[in-house]
Formats: sequence, structure tokens, C-alpha cells
Amino acid sequence: MVEAVQVQLKKGVLELCVLALLSRGDAYGYEIASRLAKGIEMSEGTIYPLMRRMQADGLVATYLVESSTGPSRKYYRLTDAGRARLETQKTEWTAFSGAVNAILGGAE
Amino acid sequence: MTRRDFIARLRAGLAGLPPSAIADVAADYETHFADAEAAGRGEAEVAAALGDPDRLARELRAEAGLKRWEAERNPSAAANAVFAVLGLGAIDILILLPILLWVGGTLLGLFIAAVACFGVGAVVMVAGPFVISGAPTSALVLAGLGVMAGGTSLGAVSTLVTIASVNALVWYGRLHMRLLKPALESPGSLP
Repeated sequence: MVEAVQVQLKKGVLELCVLALLSRGDAYGYEIASRLAKGIEMSEGTIYPLMRRMQADGLVATYLVESSTGPSRKYYRLTDAGRARLETQKTEWTAFSGAVNAILGGAE
Repeated sequence: MTRRDFIARLRAGLAGLPPSAIADVAADYETHFADAEAAGRGEAEVAAALGDPDRLARELRAEAGLKRWEAERNPSAAANAVFAVLGLGAIDILILLPILLWVGGTLLGLFIAAVACFGVGAVVMVAGPFVISGAPTSALVLAGLGVMAGGTSLGAVSTLVTIASVNALVWYGRLHMRLLKPALESPGSLP
């Protein structure tokens, strides 16, 4: 039960996490995947479908950067729409988690 | 699983998509393997952390099918989207299939009725005045036109209902896909 709740929560906040990560600076796929996998336990492979969808939704844009080690890297950056989405989702998340915390705190 | 196996299974799962799209997706994961290797991780470990390539491919294909439906609303794209959602395996097919068959059958019946009405109306209008004696020509033409108009509106309503049904199914599929449900299971449970 606890595990199921955790999985549901992770799924819901994944997009928010990606938006927040990119708001601090552009990043390439592996950076995003490994950074998120470290914090939230998840399959790293799911990042790429998510990025593809966010790109299709116009939240992120990509550009290629030549790499010295291998093939050129695809970097992701936030678009204005992505920034706006981050603000709304952040507000929603803060309000929601605040309310949950208040209740959890009150139950003790 | 090695890098080669992972990419091969992913590519096989994506078969049917445009080659350029498959190349784009494969490139994402190739780069991921390269970056992970540079960070000192082994191929097998990276493949396990990435998740099941078959599931990843299913999600990506479904997404492509739904996007196509949203871009071009035609019967072929609709069928594509319906199969994409079914192929997702996120929905209990035993529950969904009877509903789908019922809705599909009803809509098909409505379409046939619409075409039949249109045909009958046309025949009454064109051939009526020659075949049916006694009735005034203008009345028969008007009656034929009326039946044809009825058939046309029935067809239009059926089309709208069909589009709404496919949209509902797409929404349902999205709901499951946006959650990336199967792919988010812990890497340890993968084969």
C-alpha cells in the first residue's frame, strides 16, 4: 500500500521535477535521468518518453551541442510555456503538500 | 542485457513508425549508454536502470498514434489511435473490448442507416414521379429531399459521436500513459 502510494506520487511530480531541474539550467538527457533517478527512485528510461511529450507540448525545446567524447548531445531548455507551467505546478504542489503536511503534523 | 540487445529490442518494438522517428529514439538511448559508460557504469546496470525496452517502445508508439489522431482526424488515424491505446496493455481488455465492440457496432449501424436513408431519398426523388402514379411530382421530390436530409444529418451525428468516442478512448489511454505506469516499476523487477 505504502509502495503504491509512493509510486503514484512519483508519477505525478515527475514533470514538475523536470521543469524545476531545467529552470536551473539547460541539461542533456543523461543528466536529467541520473539526477532524477538519484532523488526519486524510478526507471531512467521513462525520462525520454516524458521529454519527448514535453517537447511536443511546447514546454521544452532542444538544441544539439557537439561533444568531444561521442555523438553530439541533445540539450533541453525550458520554453516560456514551460516556465509558466512550472510556476502553476509549483504553486499547486506547495499548497497541496502544505495541506498534507499540516494534516500529518496534526495527527501526531 | 547488453546495450546492443536493448537498442535492438527497442527498435523492433518501434517497427511501423517512420524510420527517422525510430532513429531519433534510438539515438536518445545510444547517447544515454555512452554518457553512462563515461560515468563509469556497466552496460548491464545501465540497461536495467533504463527499464524494459519493449514497454518503452509500446508507450512511444502509442504516443505517436495519439498525436497522429490529434493532427489528422480521419478514419485511418482513428483506427491507429484505438489500436495504439489497446496495445498499451494499460487497460483491462476484457472489460474494454465488449464496450468497444458495442459502441463500434452501434455506430456502424447508424452509418449504414444514414447511407440507406440517403439512397432511399434519392430514389424517391428521382424515380418516384415516374413509378408512383397518383401522387404529385412536387410532393415526391420534397419527400425524397427530406429523407435525404435526414440521412445526411444522421450521418453527421454518427460522425460526431465517433470522434467523441475515439477522443474518450485517447483520453483514457493518455491518463494511463502520462502516468508511465509499467515503466516506473522498480528496475529490480525487470527480466
